[in-house]
Amino acid sequence: MKPYEWMVKYTPQTEWIERRGILMWLAEVSGGLGGGLYLVSLYLNSLWGMFIGWLIILLLKGGFHIAYLGKPLRFWRIILKPQTSWIARGLIFVVLFIGFGAIQLAFTYWLPGTAWEVVFKILAGIMAFGVIIYTGFVMNYVNGIPLWNTALLPVLFVICGVLDGFGLVMAIALGGGNVDIMVAEAGSRLLLIASALLIVIYLWSTTYMGPTGKYTVMELIRGNIAPVFWVGVALCGIIIPIVISVSSYFAGEASSPLLITGIICDMIGAFSLKYCILKAGIYSPLIPSTAY
Amino acid sequence: MARWGMVIDLQKCVGCYSCVIACKQEHFLPPDIFWNRIVISETGKYPMVTKQMYPVLCNHCQEAACVKACPSGATTRREDGIVTINYDECVGCRYCLIACPYQQRTFYADGKKEYFPGQGLTELEIIGRKLYPLQPGTVMKCNFCQERVDEGIQQGLKPGVDREATPACVIACPAKARYFGDLDDPDSEVSKLIKEKKGFQLHPEYGTDPSVYYITR
Repeated sequence: MKPYEWMVKYTPQTEWIERRGILMWLAEVSGGLGGGLYLVSLYLNSLWGMFIGWLIILLLKGGFHIAYLGKPLRFWRIILKPQTSWIARGLIFVVLFIGFGAIQLAFTYWLPGTAWEVVFKILAGIMAFGVIIYTGFVMNYVNGIPLWNTALLPVLFVICGVLDGFGLVMAIALGGGNVDIMVAEAGSRLLLIASALLIVIYLWSTTYMGPTGKYTVMELIRGNIAPVFWVGVALCGIIIPIVISVSSYFAGEASSPLLITGIICDMIGAFSLKYCILKAGIYSPLIPSTAY
Repeated sequence: MARWGMVIDLQKCVGCYSCVIACKQEHFLPPDIFWNRIVISETGKYPMVTKQMYPVLCNHCQEAACVKACPSGATTRREDGIVTINYDECVGCRYCLIACPYQQRTFYADGKKEYFPGQGLTELEIIGRKLYPLQPGTVMKCNFCQERVDEGIQQGLKPGVDREATPACVIACPAKARYFGDLDDPDSEVSKLIKEKKGFQLHPEYGTDPSVYYITR
């Protein structure tokens, strides 16, 4: 975009995707992956899954967010103001998840089956859910960007986060973790279909959010972001995993190479989806009607 | 309590950028940072082409999206309607920047950037950094020259009427296209202009109720 086109034409946001903004993208992806993996691992009772999910949130999500801040040492100011915005509430979710998750992991490892383990599993699970969903609320508040300003976004983030959690838990199963791979496959099969439908509805509904919404969707499916959307989100994130999942449903069990391919594609899909949503965050021009 | 606001007459604006420069001088803004901008668009096809110039700045919205978005409480709206940033509290998350539908905020990333790269800071830049210590790593935007307004009121002056109490961009405008005053006072010049000339806000559909109005007739 040329400087003289700024807010005269449709103007994409750059702060959360370009230059240091890449850290925000990585933080958002790791929030979905870590939270999803933790929730799925809770369901499948995989200690390794819970631990890796917890680590992803602690090191990657937390680290990327702190590294992105202009004044990282002041991050504590955010925690003290939960009434202000979803970023503040989100950071509280992250901090509480790290705390509750650590206690829960300790109980599960040293004192499994106790009531405290169950209590902290519930608490950490709620916080993990909060970690996945809050980014949706953060973005959904931005009314200048039609693609983000929709209630479908938090739902999409939750479904995709849990789907990616199933993908990662399968990777743990292949690595020797104690996970029922058939259950994980069944879960991911359902969520793949749900996420594919949701993405279609999400984009379709965005086209009804005025000319900027329509332009944004066209940019996603035909513009500069289209290769990432079609190859990353549609092909790798949905089509290939669905084909593998359906074939394994009829064949009984998918082979390891097929599963690895599916997991890699799913990860590419996770990164691509958040990239596309952030990159296609487009504002309406400032000058009324003339630039449309 | 007053609600400070601005009216910009688009018929009078000649696009000379005096407001942009005056703002940069007033606040000693670093390179590449503008609190005042002019957005220029051309519409139509030859020979029926229309050029439109919109001087834009922070709208100091009554329902400011940036205030509600700021997680650290650094951005606040004063009683007189000026939306202000406390640089000591800003964490640099840039959520306010994203949330502003008018895109009137800027992240001050590079504190070492010079106007003449490689030649060191000029005297003016050195003085500016002492007088107006902006903090790298924080977000900044137009503050309606709150220092001028506050000091002017303390001296018994009236913002929008007395030069010393009026924002720099308003007094620098050679075409007198900008007006500053109290939107809550029905007898103020800005209120009268908005009423008589049907002043309009940018994107009222966002529900932010900006304090900057435009008139075209």
